[in-house]
Amino acid sequence: MAKFLLLAFRNIFRNRRRTVMTLFMVGGGVAGLLLVGGFFARMFWGLREHTINGGLGHIQIFTVDHFNRDEVRALDTGIDNWRQVAASVKTGGHVRGVAPRIEFYGMVSNGDKSSVFMGTAVDPVAENGLGFFPTTFTSGHDLDSKSGGEVEALIGKGLAKSMNVKVGDGLTILSMTSDGALNGVDVEIVGIVDSGIAEMDARSLRITLPAAQRLLQSDRVTNLVVGLDKTENTDQVAAELAPRLRGLPQQLVLKKWIDLATYYKQVRSLMSTIFVFLGVIVFFMVLMSSVNTLLMTMFERTREIGTMLAMGTPRAWIVALFMLEATLIGILGALVGVLAGNLLGVLLNHSNLNLPPPPGFTVPMSFEVLHVPSLMVGSSLLVIVSLALASILPAIRASRLRIAEALAHV
Amino acid sequence: MDELVNVEAVSRRFPLDNIPAHHPAHSFVSALSDASLRVSAGEFLAIAGPSGSGKTTLLNLIGCIDKPTSGRILVDGVDTSKLKPGSMSALRREKIGFVFQTFNLIPVFTAAENVEYPLLIQSVGSRERRKRVAEALDSVGLSARANQRPDLLSGGERQRVAVARAIVHRPALVLADEPTANLDTHNATQLIDLMHGLNRRLGLTFIFSTHDARLLEHTERIVRLTDGEVISDTTIQGGSRG
Repeated sequence: MAKFLLLAFRNIFRNRRRTVMTLFMVGGGVAGLLLVGGFFARMFWGLREHTINGGLGHIQIFTVDHFNRDEVRALDTGIDNWRQVAASVKTGGHVRGVAPRIEFYGMVSNGDKSSVFMGTAVDPVAENGLGFFPTTFTSGHDLDSKSGGEVEALIGKGLAKSMNVKVGDGLTILSMTSDGALNGVDVEIVGIVDSGIAEMDARSLRITLPAAQRLLQSDRVTNLVVGLDKTENTDQVAAELAPRLRGLPQQLVLKKWIDLATYYKQVRSLMSTIFVFLGVIVFFMVLMSSVNTLLMTMFERTREIGTMLAMGTPRAWIVALFMLEATLIGILGALVGVLAGNLLGVLLNHSNLNLPPPPGFTVPMSFEVLHVPSLMVGSSLLVIVSLALASILPAIRASRLRIAEALAHV
Repeated sequence: MDELVNVEAVSRRFPLDNIPAHHPAHSFVSALSDASLRVSAGEFLAIAGPSGSGKTTLLNLIGCIDKPTSGRILVDGVDTSKLKPGSMSALRREKIGFVFQTFNLIPVFTAAENVEYPLLIQSVGSRERRKRVAEALDSVGLSARANQRPDLLSGGERQRVAVARAIVHRPALVLADEPTANLDTHNATQLIDLMHGLNRRLGLTFIFSTHDARLLEHTERIVRLTDGEVISDTTIQGGSRG
């Protein structure tokens, strides 16, 4: 077996120029897949962390009703005893913080013009405890939970532009209370926020939790957002929390970030499909070009194969020899590709290149690639398998040569 | 002596073009016609004749790398016309050694590895392989060149490696198709002497083809072919060494 392997290994270097060209082709395919896959992986990671740390959190807790029926009145599917629930959740491992939130909507007016807003009421101290990305302000500062004056508000930069207001200006917000009445409150803009997502910035408004509860006339919250030390701990913490929520008077349910991150899932699904498509293209490129090269190799070695068959070499051995040679080329090509792909990845990561903002975003995306071991293994296997498959036709042809004719081959 | 090869009224025709056999325009060329030949174990036999006389065809048929159109060939008592491809392959592997006109060594193997090859395909153990390869290379006087690749050997040396490869697995029969055609007279004579010596010393049966009249002086038995027919079968008592 060792001699057979040696024969296969030496055979692949008989025509060095051709072998080097094949290695370049195979390696190029692997390197290309690693760069594209690494870029996608970096993008997925960035989008995941941006989604979670941008406010979604790792886990959110809702009432079961929140998903079973629409709210008829403000907060009628909200959580009653949220302080007790939050305190219980905080005692778990890996939990960095728990923040109550109220999601509400209504109209905002500057006296001349009105617009719809999507409101979020937060506890600034609890939000800071989640350890999420700091809010990016184009001007002003964050909400102050201890502010005793006028109700403070943060608004998105798109809404600020639409309402033609700046920090220090006032707005009136109107919303339906939990009793179904219309209620309003004057707010002072203390900050203008740039979330990086234009759609959100055109509608977002944020006030403190007590202010929203006064506006909506309810002590409930919509949900509790849980921040963890690491995203990778989400499943473990969710599994630990679920039983603790079952014993409470109100039926609660927890959702992991992946259940709520619709945009992330759509992007990932689209990009993954594109990547699979690229993989298929590389697979067929390697397959088709290798078949030609291996057929040429077989033709050149016709008399040698005839000699081996004349000496009594089983035809299956000839098939195995050709497939082994192709597989070895695949392995070497994959090694070249993994080295080249990682090297180019390092160079790209140090080049500080930026890409234009993706759809819906306002900030440019850095052109970085991740070095993903599973991608290296997968891409390598892809080209090794495609080369092994490419060798089947030449191998079978070689094994079926008529010995007398092969020996007379010039 | 025991009969090793029995060629009984063997013909070999090759179709011309790709016209099916039942088609009126079908035609063929006859490479061998009704040839008969008996070879005993330990013989040193030359098949002589001009180019195109059917020497290679006859050797291919005896060597089980081709099948006759009619007639039958027995090698060591086995009717090769009844063998399946796998059994033909096994017969060649175990009982026949081949020496080719163009040496046909595996270029990426060293001389020793080339000689080792027939033992590899017979799954002989590594220790036994090393021993037999050393013996075979020693018997052709190439022990010192064991680790050289074919491209660093002279034509004569390459053919001696080919002879070592043909005898290393101790076959009953060695077939050599024009083994001296690519050698100068000196190397050709040396090679025939070497094969003759192996024939006498080890009792190996050699059948080789040649159209070089000078080499026939070294042979005890000469079968002459012309246009695919055996026209003479001459035995010279005791052989003649020049």
